[in-house]
Amino acid sequence: MVAQMIEGWNLVIGIEIHAQVNSKSKLFSSSPTDFGSKPNSQVSLIDAAMPGMLPVINKFCIEQAVKSGIGLNAKINKNSIFDRKNYFYQDLPQGYQISQYKDPIVGEGFVEIETKNGQKKIGVERLHLEQDAGKSLHDQDPNFTFVDLNRSGIALMEIVSKPDMNSPEEAVEYVRKVRSILRYLGTCDGNMEQGSLRADVNVSVNKPGNELGTRCEIKNLNSFKFIHAAIVYEARRQIKLIEQGESVNQETRLFNTQSGETRSMRSKEDAHDYRYFPDPDLLPLTLDDDWIKGLQDSIPELPDQIKERFINEYSLSSYDANIIVSDKATSEYFEDVVKNRNPKLVTTWVTGELFSILNKKNLIMEDSPITSKQLGELIDNIENGKISNRQAKEVLEEMCESGKGASEIIDEKGLSQISDENEIESLVDSVLNSNPENVKKYKNGKDKLFGFFVGEAMKLSKGKANPKIVNDLIKKKLSQ
Amino acid sequence: MEFDKKSLLKLGKLARISINEDNLNNLSKDLNSILEFVDQLKEIKTDQVDPTSNSLNQKLEVRDDKVDNKNSTEDVLENAPEKEMDFFVVPKVIE
Repeated sequence: MVAQMIEGWNLVIGIEIHAQVNSKSKLFSSSPTDFGSKPNSQVSLIDAAMPGMLPVINKFCIEQAVKSGIGLNAKINKNSIFDRKNYFYQDLPQGYQISQYKDPIVGEGFVEIETKNGQKKIGVERLHLEQDAGKSLHDQDPNFTFVDLNRSGIALMEIVSKPDMNSPEEAVEYVRKVRSILRYLGTCDGNMEQGSLRADVNVSVNKPGNELGTRCEIKNLNSFKFIHAAIVYEARRQIKLIEQGESVNQETRLFNTQSGETRSMRSKEDAHDYRYFPDPDLLPLTLDDDWIKGLQDSIPELPDQIKERFINEYSLSSYDANIIVSDKATSEYFEDVVKNRNPKLVTTWVTGELFSILNKKNLIMEDSPITSKQLGELIDNIENGKISNRQAKEVLEEMCESGKGASEIIDEKGLSQISDENEIESLVDSVLNSNPENVKKYKNGKDKLFGFFVGEAMKLSKGKANPKIVNDLIKKKLSQ
Repeated sequence: MEFDKKSLLKLGKLARISINEDNLNNLSKDLNSILEFVDQLKEIKTDQVDPTSNSLNQKLEVRDDKVDNKNSTEDVLENAPEKEMDFFVVPKVIE
């Protein structure tokens, strides 16, 4: 449906990601950064912009920005400058945001994403450090706005992409990839629900071959679903305008998560004039080579590298590897389980049954009710033929409820699969002996009856017989 | 640099300072004389000098990522003209 509406048009998308640095204290003050605290309980006199207070930068935040830059394959700028971005708003007590303008801490880089046409490189324009603003509540009182400054001054990394994405899917993949890299690095927790990572999306449309269209910016999208929906809506809106002979106004728009529509927030004429200038309270930030080198050496294995390794070491398909490495906890879980086990079986159980349990219970991998050790034990029991796949699903469900180990559940439920050939042979004999008519028909060419014999034998074993052995034995006996 | 009345009104709007018509002429004159004074800096030849945003020969001071939450909610809200339920209260603003 999306493709239909947009067919014949070219979409150009650029994204600004705001990622909260995973620091304990704020960028320029020692106030805590905990989410969900009592209003105005994490506000220092610096965050409230009391006269005479001076900002002192958090070293950890500088490190996280540089690490993130390395993870985004980007140029680290040894000299960068903090600027004041001036605007008036009630949740910005300073009257300006301390940000970086012409000289950001991190310059150009790129990330690779998977698209339906294969790998695609998405350019990163820059990453800079800046302060978050406070929070305004407009719905507490009909005549007044309530302001909470707990978030004011928390460190953000703004990551600006090049306009390299051409579909809502690519945009979502890009944000997923950046989020995944930051989570592997540990520089941002990536919690979109709590606003630790949010995206502003720039969209324009044009006819292939024509020059670029006028773009609109959609602010503050905090889920992959919203990013996708906002781009689809916005592209259609712009196409419709142009097809009706009207033109697109360059403006900032808001996405309504209820209606799925975007509406104008402010047009270019009202655009802020930020009057940037270097903050006289802060000296330029200089980084030395050895320090940067030290950080480079501390970078952990990142998703692209792990994916390569999984494909080589465990012969995973690119598709499976991509699913597993997109989340750090999942790739760690997978590696715990896969040691000395069949990778194919492990992949199926992790991305199939385990994912479906997590989905059903609305849990993330970190909170999996089944530990990697438990799943490993279950898979061992499948591999050594003790239980069938179907039985294993039953065990997994029970495991989820009781937290018991696989072997314990198998014993308790008497699930253990019968793999003893003699035992199965006597089952098969009794089935064949009690159905002489059908045996005759089968031998006269009614092949379909084979399934009937297997079913009867399985029934007789109460589902415990190893199906492969049952199959083999029946085939053998009937061909005699 | 010339500071015309239109720019002055825009600056006032951005800074949320109301400027009334009677003052416009005087303010414009004042601001222009300030700018002319600052413009003297342009007379200095700087084409051989690297641009710098700071004249101090010092490095940026940094601090460790340690929490110190010494300012209580009451202290922070003490000077607020309006407060309720630990929030600052301001006239309704919806952009």
